[in-house]
Amino acid sequence: MNTQFVFEGKQKTILLSAMLLGLACLGLTWVYDDEYHTRFWTNVLHNSVFFTGISAVALFLITAGITMYGGWATAFKRIWESYSLFMIVGMVLLGVIAIGNVGHFHHLYHWADSSAVEGDKILKGKSGFLNNTWYMLATFVFLGTWFLFAYKLRQLSVKEDAEGNYEAGDFTIHRTMRKYAAAFLPIFGFTSAAAIWLWVMSIDAHWFSTLFAWYCTASLVVSMVCVTILMLLYLKSIGYMTYITKEHFHDLGKYTFAFSVFWTYLWFSQFMLIWYANLGEETTYFKLRMTQYPVLYWGNFIMNFVLPFLILIRNDTKRKFGSIGFAASLVLFGHWWDFFQMIKPGAYKNMQEHVEHMAHQGGGHEAAQHGSEAAAGAGHAVAASHEVAHHAATFVEGFTIPGLLEMGTFVGFAALFVYVVFMNLAKASLLPKNDPYVQESLSHHVV
Amino acid sequence: MKTLNKEVLFGLYDDETDLLNAVNAANKAHLDIMDVYTPFPVHGLDPALGLAESRLHIAGFVYGMTGTLTGFGFMTWVFTRDWPIIFGGKPYWSVPAFIPVTFELTVLFAAIGMVVTFYTICGMGPGVTNPTLHDRITDDKFCLAFQTNGMDAEEINKLKNFLSTSNASEVHQKNI
Repeated sequence: MNTQFVFEGKQKTILLSAMLLGLACLGLTWVYDDEYHTRFWTNVLHNSVFFTGISAVALFLITAGITMYGGWATAFKRIWESYSLFMIVGMVLLGVIAIGNVGHFHHLYHWADSSAVEGDKILKGKSGFLNNTWYMLATFVFLGTWFLFAYKLRQLSVKEDAEGNYEAGDFTIHRTMRKYAAAFLPIFGFTSAAAIWLWVMSIDAHWFSTLFAWYCTASLVVSMVCVTILMLLYLKSIGYMTYITKEHFHDLGKYTFAFSVFWTYLWFSQFMLIWYANLGEETTYFKLRMTQYPVLYWGNFIMNFVLPFLILIRNDTKRKFGSIGFAASLVLFGHWWDFFQMIKPGAYKNMQEHVEHMAHQGGGHEAAQHGSEAAAGAGHAVAASHEVAHHAATFVEGFTIPGLLEMGTFVGFAALFVYVVFMNLAKASLLPKNDPYVQESLSHHVV
Repeated sequence: MKTLNKEVLFGLYDDETDLLNAVNAANKAHLDIMDVYTPFPVHGLDPALGLAESRLHIAGFVYGMTGTLTGFGFMTWVFTRDWPIIFGGKPYWSVPAFIPVTFELTVLFAAIGMVVTFYTICGMGPGVTNPTLHDRITDDKFCLAFQTNGMDAEEINKLKNFLSTSNASEVHQKNI
C-alpha cells in the first residue's frame, strides 16, 4: 500500500501550464475591459473568494469532525488538511483586493469610494462597518487566524503520525487537537460571516441579507465536498488511496446531495422573505438578477438543485465512480457559477453608477474650467450611461454569463489550488495511521 | 396469542461478527436459515442472507409526490377558484408563497405513508402480539434461527452441533 504521495514533474508541468493559461486569460481580460477593469477585478475576486472559501470550509469540516467524534473521513483527512493550508495563498490574493480598495486600483465596492459615500445616506449609515479598516481586518486578521488554526492542526496531525499510540490508550495529541478544534468553531462562526459580508455581499452595498453568510457557507461546503470527490477519484486513478472505497464515496455523495438541498432551502428562503416583504432596497438584488441576468439566475438553480437532486437521489449513483464524478464536476462548476452570479451583476452596476457619478462631478468641474464644449461632452456621457443602465439586458461579455476568459481564469486558479494541495500532500503520509479514528474510517460501511 | 405452528431451533451469539460468520458458514453448508434477529442493523448481513434491497423508499417517493401535488393543487384551487384573496398586493396565484406549505405536505405524506407501510408489511401495530424467540434479542444477543418442523433427531443434532461449533453462547428450542 503506497501511502506516500509523490508530486511528480509531469504533474507540475501540467499544473504550471494551466496556471500560465489562467494568467494569459487574466491578461487578455485586462485588455478587453472597460476603463475601470471591472471584468478583470471581478474575475480575480470571484476566484480568490471561491478557492479561499473552499479551503476555509475544509478546515471547518476537519474541526467539526474532531469536535463531534466523527471518524468516517479520517482516512482521507490529509486531503482536507492540504486544502486548509491553501488559505495563506488566498490571503495574498484577497490582500491584493484589500490593498486595491485603499489605493483605488479598482472600483468593485461602492462604499470604498468616499465621494460616493458622502452623498449617500444608506452608505453613510453603514460606514461604521463597510470601510477599509474592517476589510483589512477580515482579509488579514480573520483569515490569518484561520490559517494559524489550520497550520497548528496540521502540525499536530503530523506529530500524531510520528508519536501517537492510540492502541496503548494514549490520546494526548488528539485531545490537544480537540481543544484547538473546539476553539476554532465559534471564532469561525462569527468571523466567517463578517468576512463574506465584506468580500461578497458589500458589492451590492445598499442591499443586505441576514441569510447571506449561511447561503455562501452552504455553497462552499458543496464545492469543497465535490473537490474532495474529484481529488479522491484522481488519486485512486493513479494508484493511491486504494483503501478509499465506494462506501466513502457514498457518504461524500450524501453530503453533496444533502448540502445541495440545504443550499436550495437557503436560496429560496432568502428570496421568499425579500419577495414577501417587498422593501425597495432589498428587492433590488433579485430584480437586477432576474430581469437582466435570467440565464445566470435560473442556470444557478438548475445546476445546483434540479440536476444534482435528480442524479444523486438514488443509492447507486452515489456508489458508482462515473456518476458521482460527473455529479461532482457539475455541482462544482454550478457553485462557481453561483459566486459569479453573486459578484458580477452588482459589480457591473457599481461600475455604471461610478461612470455616471464621475460624469456628473466631472461635468460640473470641467464646465467651469473649460467652457461649453466639455460640458456638452460630459452631458453626452451621462446620457450614454443612463442608456446602459436602463437597457443592460443586452449581452455584456464576461458578465451576462461566464465567457471563455472566465473559464480560463477558473482553470488557472484551480491549478494553483491543486498545486498548493499537492505540495502539502507530498509532505506527509496519505494515511494518518496513528489517528484514533483511522480503523473506523478504514472499515466504514454504509449499507 | 396467535401461534405460527413453528418448531424453532436457535442459537444466541454475543457478537455481531460471530453471527455474520455463522450465517456465512451456514450458507456454505447449505443449511436453510429461517431468519436472523438482531438488536440493531448489522452491516453486511443483508447481502449475506441474500435479501433484496428494500423498496420502501420507492413507496416513500410516491407518497412524497402525492403530498407535493396535494399541497400545491389544493392551494392553487383555493386561491384561484374557490376563495381568491389578495395578500400584500401579490397575485392570486403566487407560487413562492405556496412552496413552504407544499414542502411541508411532501414531508408529512412521505413520513406518515412510510411508517404505515412499514408497520403493515412487518405485521406490527397496536393490538398485534408477535411471538419472540428470546427476550434478549431486543437487548444484546444476536439470534440465528432454523425451522425444525418434520426433522428427525439426527438432523436436529446436526444443526445443534453447527450452532455450538460456530460460537453460539446459548442454544434453545422453542415452539411458536
